[in-house]
Amino acid sequence: MNVEILARPAASVAKLTLQQGEQVVCEVGAMIAMSAAFNVQTSARSKGGGGGLWSGVKRMMAGENFFLNEFTARAPEQTLIIGPGLCGDVIHHPMSGGSLIIQGSSWLASGPGITIDATFQGVGKALFSGESVFWVHCSGRGDVLLSSFGAIYEVDVDGSYVVDSGHIVAFEDTLGFELGKVGDSWLQSMLSGEGIVCHFKGRGKLYCQSHNPPSFGKLLGPMLRAR
Amino acid sequence: MEIQIRNRPSFANLLVRLVRGDRIVAESDAMASMSGAIRVTTRWSGGFWRAVLRKLFGGESLFINEFQTETQGDLVLTQPMPGDIECFDLRGGALFLQAGAFLACDPGIQLGISYAGIRSLIAREGLFRLRVSGQGRVWFGGYGGIITKELGGSEYIVDSGHLLGYEPTVSLHLGLAGGLVSSVLGGEGIVMKMRGPGRIYLQSRSIEGLAAWVNHHL
Repeated sequence: MNVEILARPAASVAKLTLQQGEQVVCEVGAMIAMSAAFNVQTSARSKGGGGGLWSGVKRMMAGENFFLNEFTARAPEQTLIIGPGLCGDVIHHPMSGGSLIIQGSSWLASGPGITIDATFQGVGKALFSGESVFWVHCSGRGDVLLSSFGAIYEVDVDGSYVVDSGHIVAFEDTLGFELGKVGDSWLQSMLSGEGIVCHFKGRGKLYCQSHNPPSFGKLLGPMLRAR
Repeated sequence: MEIQIRNRPSFANLLVRLVRGDRIVAESDAMASMSGAIRVTTRWSGGFWRAVLRKLFGGESLFINEFQTETQGDLVLTQPMPGDIECFDLRGGALFLQAGAFLACDPGIQLGISYAGIRSLIAREGLFRLRVSGQGRVWFGGYGGIITKELGGSEYIVDSGHLLGYEPTVSLHLGLAGGLVSSVLGGEGIVMKMRGPGRIYLQSRSIEGLAAWVNHHL
């Protein structure tokens, strides 16, 4: 599968080119356009991945759809264009083993060699980091596509790194994070406007989004009339 | 200190590389992420009374954050809305910013509030504006792209909700967009005329415009 990201970063889409027999699993509703010779199958499980009802339920709790769409090319050089619903960026993360932990709605698609599961990150973290209780957990070999609100930037963490809640897109599981304060005291952390932040430790790749949907919502929300 | 405005114009954000001795001041909640080696201190923006005035009349926050490091590290600063960010070198002068536009500045910059006048209020640009002054740079952002216009000695008409900032040499006046009828029917109504000399900064979209569109579809 060949991956090309177009229209970065404001309205990014991924253009995937598949050869005969190649397969990709996408978020439901992600398909924008495609060549004629694709088989599309909707299910709660992907072939390569752990499957069945329970993964579907866990995916739902991670902020994803219960179902997945599986696209299989029936002829050579078939193209598939996929994208997220909101404005924002898409990136391609090739995996060769290891695991990637992805924030709720940022998983867009992955190759058949990738197992998609959900992972529990703790109720406390969910309550205070503005993220879901479950995160999407991808492991195996192949391509993963992620989406975001805002541009995605990559950080190679070696030691410690701080991310404001709402800005995490995904991270390799060689990293872990704890919730904490910014600055010397909790009072200062609250006054600084940052509130609770995520302190990452370890060594690995971290993807962040430049913008934060809740912050934009807070700006726009008060101007909207009640329904 | 090396500062780069990246992902322009749709999702602009600041990548700041700090080494020991560097400092940068940013609006509350502007930090998206940073190295573990960066220390944050929070203080009243421009002293207690100025901070309170800024909060009440400038629509800005009470506190600002100062970032520094004992070694070195990266810092990413961002704004709530998708859009562009501009840098203005004050060189000892001043710049007026509309509520919500301020993002960051060099540590020596004064953040004050200044009375914008009744004309500004009628043009729906607020009775007060943020005044940044001193030696150093200021970074500010808007919703959409940022349009920079050097007025020279001429007059320029700006629709409500699109003004981001202007130099103190620019004065505000009110007028009708066209004749009385076309002003009312054309949806422009009373417009604000900005008279030079000086530079003005405009945003290519307005949050009020987006809110009106969304409200229409709710």
